[in-house]
Amino acid sequence: MKLAGLKSIEDAHEESVWAVTWVPSTETRPALLLTGSLDETVRLWQPDELVNQGKMTGHCLGVASVAAHPSGHIAASASLDSFVRVFDVDSNNTIASLEAPPSEVWQLRFNPQGTMLAVAGGGSASVKIWDTTTWNLFATLSIPRPEGTKPTDKSSSKKFVLSVAWSPDGRRIACGSMDGTVSVFDADRGKFLHHLEGHFMPVRSLVFSPVEPRLLFTGSDDTHVHMYDAEGKTLVGAMSGHASWVLSVDVSTDGAALATGSSDRTVRLWDINMRGAVQTMSNHTDQVWGVAFRPGGMPGRLASVSDDKSISLYDYS
Amino acid sequence: MACVYIPVQNSEEEVRVVLDQLPREATDIIDILKAEQASLDLWLIIAREYFKQGKLEQFRQILEEGSGSEIDEYYADVRYERIAILNALGAYYTYLGKIETKQREKEEHFILATQFYNKASRIDIHEPSTWVGKGQLLLAKGEVDQAFSAFKIVLDGDRDNVPALLGQACVEFNRGHYSDSLELYKRALQVHPDCPAAVRLGIGLCRYKMGQFEKARQAFQRVLQLDPENVEALVALAIMDLHANTAAGIRRGMEKMQRAFEIYPYCAMALNYLANHFFYTGQHFLVEQLTETALAVTNHGPTKSHSYYNLARSYHSKGDYDKAGVYYMASVKEISKPLEFVFPYYGLGQVQLKMGDLRSALSNFEKVLEVYPDNCDALKVLGHIYFQLGQTEKALEFMRKATKIDPCDSQAFLDLGELLISSDGGAALDCLKTARNLLKKEGEEVPIEVLNNLGVLHFERGEFELAQQTFREALGDGIWLAFIDGKEKPPSIDANASISQYKDVHIFHQLEKEGHLVELPWNKVTTLFNLARLLEQLHNIETASILYRLILFKYPDYVDAYLRLAALAKARNNFQLSIELVNDALKVNNKCPNALLMLGDLELKNDDWVKAKETFRAASEATEGKDSYATLSLGNWNYFAAIRNEKRAPKLEATHLEKAKELYTKVLAQHSANLYAANGAGVVFAEKGHFDVSKDIFTQVQEAASGNIFVQMPDVWINLAHVYFAQGNFALAVKMYQNCLRKFFNNTDSQILLYLARTHYEAEQWQDCKKNLLRAIHLAPSNYTLRFDAGVVMQKFSASTLQKPKKSVDEVRSTVAELENAVRLFRQLSAASSLHFHGFDEKKIDTHVEYCSHLLEAARVHFKVAEHEEQKIRHKQEVARQMALAEEARRKAEEQRKFQLERRLQEDELKRVRQQEEQFERVKEQWKSSTPGSKRRERSEMDDEEGGNGEKRRRKGGKRRKKDKYSRSRYDTLEAEADMMEDQEELEDEDANTNYREPTGQMNEQDDEENVQDPLAAAGLEDSDAEDEVAAPSTTTVRRRRAWSESDDDEQQERQPGSSPVRENSAELRSDGEGREGGDKVNGEAALDDDDD
Repeated sequence: MKLAGLKSIEDAHEESVWAVTWVPSTETRPALLLTGSLDETVRLWQPDELVNQGKMTGHCLGVASVAAHPSGHIAASASLDSFVRVFDVDSNNTIASLEAPPSEVWQLRFNPQGTMLAVAGGGSASVKIWDTTTWNLFATLSIPRPEGTKPTDKSSSKKFVLSVAWSPDGRRIACGSMDGTVSVFDADRGKFLHHLEGHFMPVRSLVFSPVEPRLLFTGSDDTHVHMYDAEGKTLVGAMSGHASWVLSVDVSTDGAALATGSSDRTVRLWDINMRGAVQTMSNHTDQVWGVAFRPGGMPGRLASVSDDKSISLYDYS
Repeated sequence: MACVYIPVQNSEEEVRVVLDQLPREATDIIDILKAEQASLDLWLIIAREYFKQGKLEQFRQILEEGSGSEIDEYYADVRYERIAILNALGAYYTYLGKIETKQREKEEHFILATQFYNKASRIDIHEPSTWVGKGQLLLAKGEVDQAFSAFKIVLDGDRDNVPALLGQACVEFNRGHYSDSLELYKRALQVHPDCPAAVRLGIGLCRYKMGQFEKARQAFQRVLQLDPENVEALVALAIMDLHANTAAGIRRGMEKMQRAFEIYPYCAMALNYLANHFFYTGQHFLVEQLTETALAVTNHGPTKSHSYYNLARSYHSKGDYDKAGVYYMASVKEISKPLEFVFPYYGLGQVQLKMGDLRSALSNFEKVLEVYPDNCDALKVLGHIYFQLGQTEKALEFMRKATKIDPCDSQAFLDLGELLISSDGGAALDCLKTARNLLKKEGEEVPIEVLNNLGVLHFERGEFELAQQTFREALGDGIWLAFIDGKEKPPSIDANASISQYKDVHIFHQLEKEGHLVELPWNKVTTLFNLARLLEQLHNIETASILYRLILFKYPDYVDAYLRLAALAKARNNFQLSIELVNDALKVNNKCPNALLMLGDLELKNDDWVKAKETFRAASEATEGKDSYATLSLGNWNYFAAIRNEKRAPKLEATHLEKAKELYTKVLAQHSANLYAANGAGVVFAEKGHFDVSKDIFTQVQEAASGNIFVQMPDVWINLAHVYFAQGNFALAVKMYQNCLRKFFNNTDSQILLYLARTHYEAEQWQDCKKNLLRAIHLAPSNYTLRFDAGVVMQKFSASTLQKPKKSVDEVRSTVAELENAVRLFRQLSAASSLHFHGFDEKKIDTHVEYCSHLLEAARVHFKVAEHEEQKIRHKQEVARQMALAEEARRKAEEQRKFQLERRLQEDELKRVRQQEEQFERVKEQWKSSTPGSKRRERSEMDDEEGGNGEKRRRKGGKRRKKDKYSRSRYDTLEAEADMMEDQEELEDEDANTNYREPTGQMNEQDDEENVQDPLAAAGLEDSDAEDEVAAPSTTTVRRRRAWSESDDDEQQERQPGSSPVRENSAELRSDGEGREGGDKVNGEAALDDDDD
């Protein structure tokens, strides 16, 4: 497996680019790249030339996360002002503006079926699930407090939920928090199942393997990527190599490769079977906040975004 | 059958004395001789015969009788025979004295000999044989010069006197004048061609000494032809054979030696050479016997010295250093000048080195070096000794010389490399590389220590790839390869047990169960550790941890591996595991200062102040206060304690600071180059407000810290930036913070972003401030203080925009948006505060909300005003523009006018000139016919020129004007700004009336450390202090809030000492040191085993 640089856009945004996702193709257009930035905009890009397809404003403060509905028509973005803006990709019309005070919003993900939107709820120590037809709050999955702690205890704020991921079958939700624990929920029953321990620093990104539904990858500030069996509660492996925080992880559609973006300014490609890094891309000049494999068929594409305001596109083969 | 006849007195008869059958008792003969009054020459003949038969006693008796006073009287007129007898006695005693080993008796013999010769001289002072005898005696006594004059007297009388010639030759030989000696021997041979073989021996020796080995050999062989039993010639030939240094030569030499030994077992020279031979064949018993015999039979200094040397060498090689030392010493004592025989000095030096007597060893090796200034071994050993004596410079000098003399001596390069390691890594690397290549060329295995050190050097120079290769080469094949290459992976573990992942050795048990050999030779542990350390540096943490665990699995007492694992766990925030690992290390050695210090650090991280202090103290005691890290940690502790106190008790703060300073100074006194101590001292100075001093210190530390990969000191950058900030140099502070953030933290540190924001805040760069805060929030989402700060900045930005007398609609519009955001942020915080504890008082936030809402309303009004204003402005601008246009038009018209005027003037002038010329022409024409056309052309050229000049001038003028306009406009804006500032101040005063006070001025005046330390958070809170006066909050909230701002402090200060990297590195370096020590040891032994031949 191998990455080959295709195109890089310098100054794609006016400020740091913090979030990236692929909007799946529709009948009328191919898959697009969606990026969110500190400059309070969300922008659309057409691969492989990364032609700017539109700039969407409507957020105050930086855009921390973007997510696209599997249909490819709808996308959502979350910003530091704790709003989630749901909009039509092609027309840029706002469909809904979601907020669940006092919970702030961090990473957000649609479930593979497209019926739900999960939002990492930060200090509320919960994941908020929104219904994508009515845009009403469907459920709040709270991480149970450790026993014996009072609500006023300082440590409770450590279960600050940063990241969220759906299993490919949509039955499990995993969320990562500031203290490094990963919590697994039963999505259907809205029930907390168990914690996965091993990290002791914030887990900013996590993703399930599209091939093996139990296999969960987590990236943490402790510079490691962990592989968990989310059902069996076991740490399958730990991979080290980044010199600084792992900010973003994504698995290729064939489930063989893992891409990570890190504060050490590199994008790494990992062979999941070998459990080792096979390639390191160092074209970014600042922290790489997001990496995303294009869903669907060949040819494989990986996009990365960085604090250096640039977007890079790679061929994955 | 030889016989003498003693004539019987007064008769014709003779007594026949058969010389073979001399009576046993000399008295019988003496009686006959006396009775018959035999001539003295008969006495002499008989005595000589006794001597020949080895009957020395009889010989002596006869001669003594023959030299008695009776004889003197009786034979008074027989002079020559009397002299001969006396001389014979003299010669005999000379011989006795010569072979006598005991000093006193030797002297007695010599005295007797002298007496006899003197007596002989009294009979006839001119008798040459007496002089020859005297010469021999003096020679035997070693008084060469007097011997020379004695012989000279004889030779002056008779230049062909053979004994004198031989004597003189001997003298010259002893004086080292070999060619003179040779001449004398030759003359003796010419005069007396039948002289004994010994003369040719002399010739041989002279030739030998003169380096004419072939001729020497011929001479010796001739000696042997004449006298096959001549031991000296045999030995000499043998020595020559031995020195040929070929196997056949040595064999032949040894055969000759053996024959010599068989002929005469007491020739010390032969014995020594035999002993020497048996030393090499390892038959130490024979060596001792032979040398002891040699010692017994000779008192010739150099030969004895050689014997002692042989003996000492034998004991040396057997490892009996005491005896070896004694004999070397004895050998050395026999030598007057080291030049003669230098080996025992070398041996003695070696033994003394072994016994640890460096100084004596040094002087002995230096003697060796005097004789052989290019002896590599001596140079190397001297280098080694100087190094051990701490004189590294001298050591290096010697080692360098050794490598220069023999550029193929791998050992010398190794030693030099090891010496250089501590001072010059690059040179050391080159040396070790050369050594490695030499060893490889020689087909020898490169010692693991060398490869290890090479690897470490590469590592230190940041050449990780090379370092890794070298370490792998050093380690060779083994179970570790499976881990390094990732063939063996640790099995999955229960995620909830993963808390102790760095203690898991299950994998090794499993491998053993599967039949793999989990082995780790002891000499590879250090290298494996270093490799693991390298992998850490390459961020291959997982493999590194497995290797550390492998070390611990086989060597559970390897403390450094525990500490590295603990450090790994600590870096991953897994304090519980880290503490466990450190405790494991302490189980091995509960006084291990490194482990104690690490524990202290961890306890600090866990906020366990009292415990931490105790641990640091224990560490300091364990090292008897010599470990600067322990002292530093205590210093840091005191510094934290000074800042940390919730109620800022100035007294307590001062004592803690003083104590901290004292400790830092102590470290600096021990190690003047300790960056961390200097940094600490700088911090204390900054705390006390001596910013200039601290800035100097920080700058120096920063310079020193760059350039070593093991020294990572972001703290000093931050501190320097703090100082710049405190001094109001915001631009520099920003640059410094940004560089630090990028260089050391991969831009991941929200705290530094907060410092940055704070600096922008002070510099009133609101947007930069806000962006930095947003970045910080993004990095540290759970830090609500940052959100609060962001709110405050937006509020401040809006307020300041609204206070501007002139503002565009866009500005006001964005102000409104910012205010809405601020309100939202504060409301959120307010709502969240019911859910979480994050240190904010609800009421206070509400106040902010109220204030922002109030501002928002005001802003909306402003917005309308601004819109109106803008329209007005637009109108005004339009007017102004038109005015400007009119002005421009006017100016242009004016210019035009001027231009026209000028032109007209010029034209007038021209016209005038033309007229004049025309007139002139006309006059000329009148005078004589000419060509007016050319003149006209001239004129037109002139015209052009002038016009051009004019244009240029005009252009220049235009430019100047433009510049003026620019500077004027700039001035205008400055003025406007000044006006605005004034306005703002006024407005601020007004603001104060509306219960909101600006913190800015106050902060700058205060300039205390709190401001430097806890940035914007405090700024925001300071704001609210002012409000609190009005809002009258409960005191508890104030304290709680303080606590919060304090905890921010802690975070920062914990990082400030930057202690963990030091410790980790020093642990690493220490273990490297071990490796090097190991290498040293091996080398030291090797040096001793080096042979001196």
